[in-house]
Amino acid sequence: MIFNLAKKRTLIVEDFAEFARSVRAMLHSMGATHADIVYNAEDAIEACRNNKYDIILSDYNLGSKKDGQQLLEELLKYKLIKSNCIFLMLTAENTSAMVMGAVEYTPDGYIAKPFNGNLLKARLQKSIEKKDTLHPILRSIANKNWREALENIEKILSEHPKYRMSCLRSKFHAYKALNQLDDALRLVTEIVSERSVPWALKGIGEIYYLKKDYTKSMDIFKTMTTEFPMALEGYDWLAKLQVKLGQPIDAQETLNMAVQKSPKALGRQKSLGELAEVNNDISTMTEAYRSAVKYGNNSAFSSPDEYIKLTTALTKQLSEDSDIISDKITNEAEQTFEKLKNNFSSTHSNLLRSNVAQASFYSACNEGDKTKEHLSQSKKHLAELDEQISADVSLEMSATLSELGEKQFANEILNEAIQQNLDDPDFIRKAAKITDNKDLIKTSQQASKHNLQAISFFKNKKYSDAISAFEKAHKLSPKNINIRLNYVQTLLKQAQNQTDANQIIEKADKLISEMPQLAFSDKRYSRYSELNRLTQLMLQQHQ
Amino acid sequence: MQSKKEDIFNMVLASTVHDMKNSLGMLGESINFILSQIDIQSLNPQTKDYYGVVQYESSRVNNSLMQLLALYKLENNQLPYNPNYVNLSDFLEEQKIKHLPLLDAKNIECIIDVDEAMEGFFDDCLIATALENIIGNAIRYTRQQIKISCHQNSSTTIVISDDGPGYPESMLQMEGGYMLGISQSTGSTGLGLFFAQKIAEIHQHKENVGTIHLSNGGELGGSQFEITIP
Repeated sequence: MIFNLAKKRTLIVEDFAEFARSVRAMLHSMGATHADIVYNAEDAIEACRNNKYDIILSDYNLGSKKDGQQLLEELLKYKLIKSNCIFLMLTAENTSAMVMGAVEYTPDGYIAKPFNGNLLKARLQKSIEKKDTLHPILRSIANKNWREALENIEKILSEHPKYRMSCLRSKFHAYKALNQLDDALRLVTEIVSERSVPWALKGIGEIYYLKKDYTKSMDIFKTMTTEFPMALEGYDWLAKLQVKLGQPIDAQETLNMAVQKSPKALGRQKSLGELAEVNNDISTMTEAYRSAVKYGNNSAFSSPDEYIKLTTALTKQLSEDSDIISDKITNEAEQTFEKLKNNFSSTHSNLLRSNVAQASFYSACNEGDKTKEHLSQSKKHLAELDEQISADVSLEMSATLSELGEKQFANEILNEAIQQNLDDPDFIRKAAKITDNKDLIKTSQQASKHNLQAISFFKNKKYSDAISAFEKAHKLSPKNINIRLNYVQTLLKQAQNQTDANQIIEKADKLISEMPQLAFSDKRYSRYSELNRLTQLMLQQHQ
Repeated sequence: MQSKKEDIFNMVLASTVHDMKNSLGMLGESINFILSQIDIQSLNPQTKDYYGVVQYESSRVNNSLMQLLALYKLENNQLPYNPNYVNLSDFLEEQKIKHLPLLDAKNIECIIDVDEAMEGFFDDCLIATALENIIGNAIRYTRQQIKISCHQNSSTTIVISDDGPGYPESMLQMEGGYMLGISQSTGSTGLGLFFAQKIAEIHQHKENVGTIHLSNGGELGGSQFEITIP
């Protein structure tokens, strides 16, 4: 193979400028003419928005913000790089990055620093050769064309046995995506019976999970954490299964082990905090959310969640433990509220949540005036609320308000949430325990039944029947977003199937324009915006 | 009380190594860059010797620290073990390339003798760190040649041999306990061999555990190092 970098566009991501330049010099000596340098992950993402790179060389440690692995994940998730782009991770320690042996997105290789130009050249050469060979597979996968991917895999497997493992890993993903769980299970089981390959072992556990065989899945992840104690994903899975099987205390211990090995993972710290709250282990809860706030700082993944939860944990310490040094706790809580205010936008929903937490905190400090002040602020923000609040946050706030003796306020928030989330059985179960409005739960359950029935009509293309069932569900629970969006989608479908559709489209338009506003971050936002666009389009066509 | 003292020492040691690792990383990168600008063949013999010393010693310090850090992690159960199928020809070729500047400077020939399709199952990062030290030493003690080869039955054995004077008798007798071998006369600590042994032992399959073996004579008449991975 002719090795030519002249036509390749390369990006170097490295926070140490001298080193970045020396890597560029190596590339130049291999004939590269186009090598850009950026010093952090944020700039790398920007650069990839503007240019299509053939090769990316990224340091793993990129200062305090995102690391090289997070960069790779973001680039792949937002499709900012071509499917045949080579991504090589440069690591200061031979092994640091390998913590993630079984992670979903892996780079094309790791190079330990310092390295010489000859090694870089050899690596690039091999990576390009491999990626070029595997490209048909990668392209089909990028297009989510799994059948075609399987065909390409078979072809490349027979022609290039050297890339067998990469092919089999793709094959596993394709089977999983096609929901051919038995084929997927057979594949990874065969691999593991030969040799304990970390990703394949994890694959077995994943498939058992998807098949709802939680006991078997748990056994696999127990094996994984023993055989590969530094593959931290194994602990996340194990904890998830322990929760599923009703063992929250074991789950907490599992996550605790992972957090001790690598404290910087924001998501894992939050899961640990959540479990500790369930287990009423307030000091672990405090420590976990404290770390989440600390390590989440500046990260794209940080949210008001961990700040509020940290203050909740501190408030619990104040009210439950009389021996505690309250000055220190009080200071930390107040600082956390301050950071929350500075780091996140002042939407009514954020302010509502923060004021409820502050009311609770000052009540624990026995400061009646401040408690009252924050309660009245909360009520103000609730009245002006222009966004949906998530089910969990609603539960959290109404529980806090109940404890403060604000029964009516608590119910107002909870009842709103029940109507909006009646299709979430987990939430309804929790809400039913604390609401005193049993009729509302009953109504919600009825609405949910109509909704399910309507969905099955829709699946069988009986659109008129679906419409009348959705109408019933919507009447019972006008505030529920999912029912409303389902209803709109069905109306539009029906409108496409008949000639005189004006009335139907107008009905859809009325439903969608009278809907409470969704936050941009809401999971349902993209569905809402697509349906809204379609409705407006059809409205124009029929006028 | 004794154990507490050791804990503190271990912690300080690990932090110090981390600090040094960062400085050394930059130092190594800078040295590499400067050396890459020099045309070795144009140097006079004495400068060429110094060139070799800079190459060898900088990569040796780096490799020692890497080993120390890995051993610390191993002790604390934090050393990642991430085995996979590895093409041995590609892998060994890369180990040679890492030492290319030194091989050139000392005019030593490095032969790789391995079947192109041969595949092993091991953690390539860990084995690479172990081999870096062994190959470095072979280059230091050999006369003209070193050879890296590989053979397989139910396990995989990588062999590194040279045409130098061979291992001292005292070292050959140390099999299994290399850490005891701090020699005042040669300055050799046996750390590299101790590390290689630990890394070999991490690799287990069914009832079998990885081993290392030292001998003299071998293919080129000098020392011969073998690491066997089940």
